[in-house]
Amino acid sequence: MSKKWEVSVVGIILALGGLITSIPFIWMILSSFKTEREALSVPPTLIPNNVTLQNYIDLFNKLDFDIYLYNTMIIVFFSMIGLLLNTMAGYGFAIYRFRYKEILFLLVLATLMIPNQVTMIPTYLLVNTMGLTNTMTGIVLPGLISAYSLFLIRQFMATIPMDLIEAARLDGANEFRIFFNLILPLSKPIISIQMIFAFIGAWNSFLWPLIIANDDKLYTLSVGMSLLKGQYSTSFALQMAGATFMVIPILIIFTIFQRNIVQGFNMTGIK
Amino acid sequence: MSRLIFKISPFIFIGPAILLLFIFSIIPIVMSLIISFTDMDLVGLANWSKVSFIGFDNFGRLFNDPIFLKSIVNTLMYVGIGVPIVICLSLGIALLLNYSTSALFSGFRAIYYMPSITNIVAVAIIWGFLYNQEYGLFNYLLSLIDIEKVPWLEDPFVAKLSLILLAVWKGIGVDMIIFLAALQSIPKMYYEAADIDGANRWQKFKYVTLPSLSFAIFFVVVTKLIGWLQFFEEPFVMTGGGPLDGTVSMALFIYQEGFEYSRFGYASAASFVLFAVIIGITLVQFTLRKSDK
Amino acid sequence: MKKIKWIMIASLLVCFAFIMTACGSNSASSSEEPLKIWAMGAEGQKLKEFAKNFEEEHGIKTDVLAVPWGDAHDKILTAVAAGEGPDVLQIGNTWVAEFGEAGTFLDLTEYVESEEYPNLNQDNFFPSSTQTTVYNDKVLAVPYIIDTRVLFYRTDLLEQAGYPDGPATWDETLDAARTLAARGPDKNGFEIDQGSHHIPMMFAWEHGWDYDISKGAENFADPKFKQAMELYHQLFDEDLAQLEAGKETVQAFADGTNPMFISGPYMVNTIKEQAPEIEGKWNVKVMPKAETSNSIAGGSHFSVFHSSERVEDALTFINYMADPETQVEWYKEAFTLPTVKAAWEDPALKNDPMIKVFGEQIEMTKAFPVMAEYEFMAKELLKTLEQINRGGKSVDEALAEYQKEVEKILSE
Repeated sequence: MSKKWEVSVVGIILALGGLITSIPFIWMILSSFKTEREALSVPPTLIPNNVTLQNYIDLFNKLDFDIYLYNTMIIVFFSMIGLLLNTMAGYGFAIYRFRYKEILFLLVLATLMIPNQVTMIPTYLLVNTMGLTNTMTGIVLPGLISAYSLFLIRQFMATIPMDLIEAARLDGANEFRIFFNLILPLSKPIISIQMIFAFIGAWNSFLWPLIIANDDKLYTLSVGMSLLKGQYSTSFALQMAGATFMVIPILIIFTIFQRNIVQGFNMTGIK
Repeated sequence: MSRLIFKISPFIFIGPAILLLFIFSIIPIVMSLIISFTDMDLVGLANWSKVSFIGFDNFGRLFNDPIFLKSIVNTLMYVGIGVPIVICLSLGIALLLNYSTSALFSGFRAIYYMPSITNIVAVAIIWGFLYNQEYGLFNYLLSLIDIEKVPWLEDPFVAKLSLILLAVWKGIGVDMIIFLAALQSIPKMYYEAADIDGANRWQKFKYVTLPSLSFAIFFVVVTKLIGWLQFFEEPFVMTGGGPLDGTVSMALFIYQEGFEYSRFGYASAASFVLFAVIIGITLVQFTLRKSDK
Repeated sequence: MKKIKWIMIASLLVCFAFIMTACGSNSASSSEEPLKIWAMGAEGQKLKEFAKNFEEEHGIKTDVLAVPWGDAHDKILTAVAAGEGPDVLQIGNTWVAEFGEAGTFLDLTEYVESEEYPNLNQDNFFPSSTQTTVYNDKVLAVPYIIDTRVLFYRTDLLEQAGYPDGPATWDETLDAARTLAARGPDKNGFEIDQGSHHIPMMFAWEHGWDYDISKGAENFADPKFKQAMELYHQLFDEDLAQLEAGKETVQAFADGTNPMFISGPYMVNTIKEQAPEIEGKWNVKVMPKAETSNSIAGGSHFSVFHSSERVEDALTFINYMADPETQVEWYKEAFTLPTVKAAWEDPALKNDPMIKVFGEQIEMTKAFPVMAEYEFMAKELLKTLEQINRGGKSVDEALAEYQKEVEKILSE
């Protein structure tokens, strides 16, 4: 479609922009191999003068790694279930007509409009009344549904041609078969994006697990990392090692799922 | 029987999500709304009998609070400058990335996504260095072309722009990915048809690409406005609202009043002012979109 | 694609099973529950191990939950809201009044006087530590760690400026700072952490000012307070200290950019670790004198949550932690300064020349006023100083406004 030289020009532009964009990220990784002093020095060095692995050694020595990882993985797992519920709801809002749909949807959006900090204490009181403090349920349940992802899915699902669904209905498929066998495969790109977002959110979950947990057996990786800080010591290089470590799985997930994004909606089979 | 199932199926699809949202989001929001009419503070939190309703006092006080008024102005500035920039840039980058599906380009996708997954502490420190007035990289580069030192974070007005730049950098990745997915979902045959009609590049963009993206653009505009009206993280980690309250945003104001000063009633009231602004803007967008159709 | 569907359905089932078991397991509580303790940050993490000694000695099981420093306040807030918390909790000493007013802590007055817990006796501690444990005539906490600030200075550079042993008074400090700032455009005489409310408060105490709770906002009309704020302003006004963000503290100290700054005990180790090249070229000294050399008494206390059912065990633990021997052990473990006077007789503290300076300084410390509004007043003070140093307001005008602001805060 496009000429070859055009692609090259675009490639060069993107490369330049990408270089500028990624400097802080690269710097974060390189800093994790610096000594504390060098990591904070002004003007900063990009390449470490003395490469050290000490930060990573400290990281793994000081952290109750297995427990934190286990908890974080559970939260990730539940976030995927949340994603399924979000997808179903997004589909429901996109395809069906029912009474009070607009109002219900605005209500969903309204939950995005109040800063989280304001509702934190009321939510905590609620979870406490249900007896769910200090449980994994109390940690995952309030965050299961994300209005943001529900909205995004609704927007994409709304572009699915209704004829497709009508055709399936005429073939005798029930609503749930249509959803699972037709809609989900069609929506692979957007679900892949949502999986990336949900994974990142769950993987980095910090304040809520901390508030709900009264036992460090429920702490997540992020909480564990922030415990490396003393009252006054910043241990910046150590934090960078932690941040770098935390980002690796995200990059892996991103690389796996982003391939689906460019496949586009699979429109074969549209009559 | 099957008719009944068909009738209730929408509610089976949306039911679980709505139920959970209702319990864990709507009820707490209603609770905060009630709190916004009280003088709830730390003592009141421990002992609810000491909380009293004070009507609209909190709201009245808010509009006489110079810092709150300042935070409104600042927030509008963040939104007014930041949102258009971030949307145009992420759409632009997505269009460029869409040129090719080669390995190189998928590598670029990851690179442009990186800022949004960079740890916020790392972001704060590295941008702190970039913006450092005396030793920072930006001022060093400017000094090469004989431009005087820019007080990036030291001047109330410039600091706002600096925070916008940072937020744009951090925010592009997510929207870019969404636009990219939307671009990929445009059926190739639309372009082929346009080619047959002899459309030029601009016409194809205007009559094929943009309309096909409208659902994604709508999503991004709505969520960006909601998100930027709650601009928080950047001033929180970079400036704490200073210098001279020049960068304090409404969300930061709410956080400081609520969690640093434990004035929960007052902070709740402020958040409902913010809520009113956001819902007003969102409703306008929904109405506009409807009249578009 | 079929696979995805089955994975999703299966995971949904697992999810509900999970919720069921999670609810179930929570309700089962054993009679042998450990004593719940909340401690903070990396130090709290260390306390977990450290408490093993206590378990052995007293046969009481403990469960120490380390809470990151930055989020401890939020965490306690939610505990207060729910009325349920740990048995023992570590609190910053400026939080006593704030949470005390909300009834968060058990009144310990009768216990600190009882024979049963001899280590809790208030006479064992530095008075500026115990001062912040009392609110509304009730003892609400027991000191755990004391923290104070001293002057860090480069001996070699100060020698050039004529003060080889560091400046003793603020006049000498200003004089030295002027000489050192004149070394070049990118050199300073002093470093001030503008985010810390400790520093202006210390300046005020050093000028003989003190906060009198009965006087309220009037306190800030005191000419001594004004003098102190003028000194603070002078450091920036004369370009002795850098107003804009510059180099990081240790780096600037090591390369000589900032030859003097004010900091706490943790900085001793930080400099030793990060800047070994200036070993022997720096020292610490008690705060420069104006009328006094008073510094702050910061630190943490232990308190008992009001709804705890394990008061005796909690007190046994606090009593253990307040033992002079434990305090020395804990100093060696976490490098936080003992607040029990007797602990300072130990050679580990007495024979360390730099730590000795901190010991001297502790004798000259003032405590923050124990009032719920203190932290708000302090934050407001920093904003006022920003108005003076950056906003170009005169000290008089800014302080008059500050006084009004404090009146407002106090009247709430």
